[in-house]
Amino acid sequence: MATIDDTDEPDGPLNRWVQRAIEDPERVYRALFYTAMIFFMVTTLFPFYWLLVLAVTPNSEIIGGGFIPEIELFGATVPFPLPVPQGFNPGAFVDVFREIPFHLYMLNSFALAVTTTIIVLVVASLAGYVFGRLEFPGRAVLMLAILAISYFPPAAFVVPLYDIFAGNAVNIPFTDVALFQSIELLNTPGSMVLPFSALFMPLSIFILTTFYGQIPDGLEDAARVEGTTRLGALFRVIMPLSAPGVATAAVLTFISVYNEYFFSSIMATSPQAGNWSPLVGGILSYQTQYTTSFNLMAAASVVGVLPMLILVVVAQERIVSGLTSGALKE
Amino acid sequence: MSTETAGGERESRRSGPLVRVTRWMENLSDTTYAYLLLLPVFVLLGSIAIYPLLRTFEMSLFAQTFTGLGEFVGPGNYVDLFTGNMDRYLPGQPTFLPQSYGVEGLVTSALTMTLLFAFVSVFFETIIGMGQALILDQDFYGRRWIRAAIIIPWAVPVVIQGMMFYLMFQPSIGFLTPPLADLGLLAPTNTLNDPASATFVIIVADIWKTSAFMALLILAGLQSIDRGLYDVAKVAGASKWQQFKHITFPLILPTIAVAVLFRSVAAMRVYGIIDIVSSCTVVPSLSCMVVESFFSGFNAAAGTIAFTTAAIIGLVVMSLILWQGEEAI
Repeated sequence: MATIDDTDEPDGPLNRWVQRAIEDPERVYRALFYTAMIFFMVTTLFPFYWLLVLAVTPNSEIIGGGFIPEIELFGATVPFPLPVPQGFNPGAFVDVFREIPFHLYMLNSFALAVTTTIIVLVVASLAGYVFGRLEFPGRAVLMLAILAISYFPPAAFVVPLYDIFAGNAVNIPFTDVALFQSIELLNTPGSMVLPFSALFMPLSIFILTTFYGQIPDGLEDAARVEGTTRLGALFRVIMPLSAPGVATAAVLTFISVYNEYFFSSIMATSPQAGNWSPLVGGILSYQTQYTTSFNLMAAASVVGVLPMLILVVVAQERIVSGLTSGALKE
Repeated sequence: MSTETAGGERESRRSGPLVRVTRWMENLSDTTYAYLLLLPVFVLLGSIAIYPLLRTFEMSLFAQTFTGLGEFVGPGNYVDLFTGNMDRYLPGQPTFLPQSYGVEGLVTSALTMTLLFAFVSVFFETIIGMGQALILDQDFYGRRWIRAAIIIPWAVPVVIQGMMFYLMFQPSIGFLTPPLADLGLLAPTNTLNDPASATFVIIVADIWKTSAFMALLILAGLQSIDRGLYDVAKVAGASKWQQFKHITFPLILPTIAVAVLFRSVAAMRVYGIIDIVSSCTVVPSLSCMVVESFFSGFNAAAGTIAFTTAAIIGLVVMSLILWQGEEAI
């Protein structure tokens, strides 16, 4: 650092910068802004970078560590601030699909997410239409009830649900009277799609209620005069006109299901792709069966997260509007 | 459906089950029609949420023995849970309430660990989310990409988030463990099986993932502020910091308060990240305890903890709804 001498013109880049900052405080805010921005970029993106580093490092090199090389800087040896790969072995991305059928796990996740999204869109559309466009007694109470249910922890439901999905009898609560014998749903899509639908429907209901409520009554009336049925008006007029809202609900539901952990890990009892085990099962297989293949764990995670990265970049606007409009009600 | 009259027949004369259902639906009153359309929601939420909740409560009323469900004991299990008699059915070291008030005591007891996790992670998420929101509120070139980068952690599957932090802190490979162990924040060996260290890692992981969510909520609040206020402040000669202190902060405070409370409730459900990074026997969140005791065959214990969790969360949500009133809708 340069010392300040008696002359008016300070020397050294830091002092010059400080001098100018005092004359123009805007510069300080701008500097703060860019510092903060770079800080947030580094902290949010670093874990992805670390996965990539691990994935391309041959596994034999990983245990040895030494990801932070020492570099020569102005004659002093200092650690490089970022970890760098030790060697280059892109084959891990191929091995990920060879050791276990990782693509099948991902396909399962997609299938579950698409099915849940369709169910949620249909059921939430009916509810959104009712809450957004009809006046009836009990409307506020019902909406509050749905909001409250959506906040209950899945752990409060899981034990009886597991029992039912295992094929046990469905009893009337607090009695031994069996209503009916359930069919075994564990390790089938049903045991996951049903809880997912219930779990993620409230958010879609609130998003669609907002959007459906904004369609002018005149449009619906016109469709009805033209001879559309009540349901027809919903699915052929209101829903298409609220396309952005429907897309928002669809994207958020899809992401939520793809990311879900609790029921995905519990209801698929054996982590086998043939038993409908989703992404969770695939990645956990690497953690439990290939306990030292850290490069494969990292490579599998990179492959698994790619669809979400693409979706965030493509559907950013929808995610932001959905989260901010329906978020507090999530 | 009824727009085309096939065969020249008048619409009102057509028959068949579909037509009959349609006609019946057309003639319902608004209220009946509303409840008819809500029927699928009721069936789904009733069978997947309300029925299991009742059964969970029912289970919690029977005595827990090592062989299964015992006699009907009413609220006895809840008394046992809070007096420590239930602890022997909980897996591993964990207890429900802390036995000592040191760090170990707090992070090895389910209730305090969950509350601690929720409080600390939401606290930091709010501060970081505020910083991110203030950045996204500016107009600059490439804002779209920066926003995408900030949102991305929110969209990362829990299992992959878990792998990221597992691979960052696993002591044999993670490069972050030695320096943090030197600072005394983490245990140098067996890091992820040490309750305090694992809790630290889990909190960091949650902050990383969920700050973006808080940022978006706060951003919505920021963008609803009348920009004219800043022009007035500028004319009056207020600095950026004064503008923040006297305009921005007071105006977004209500948004932040609601976001913080709802987010805390959601944070209390933590399970997945613990299961991957560490294990439920090391870091006992409430959800973890339910799953662990259920898979150990202790249904009454699981039911008691599950219903206690639901009751705590339910109380918070109910008071929030009462406080927010109609605005919550």
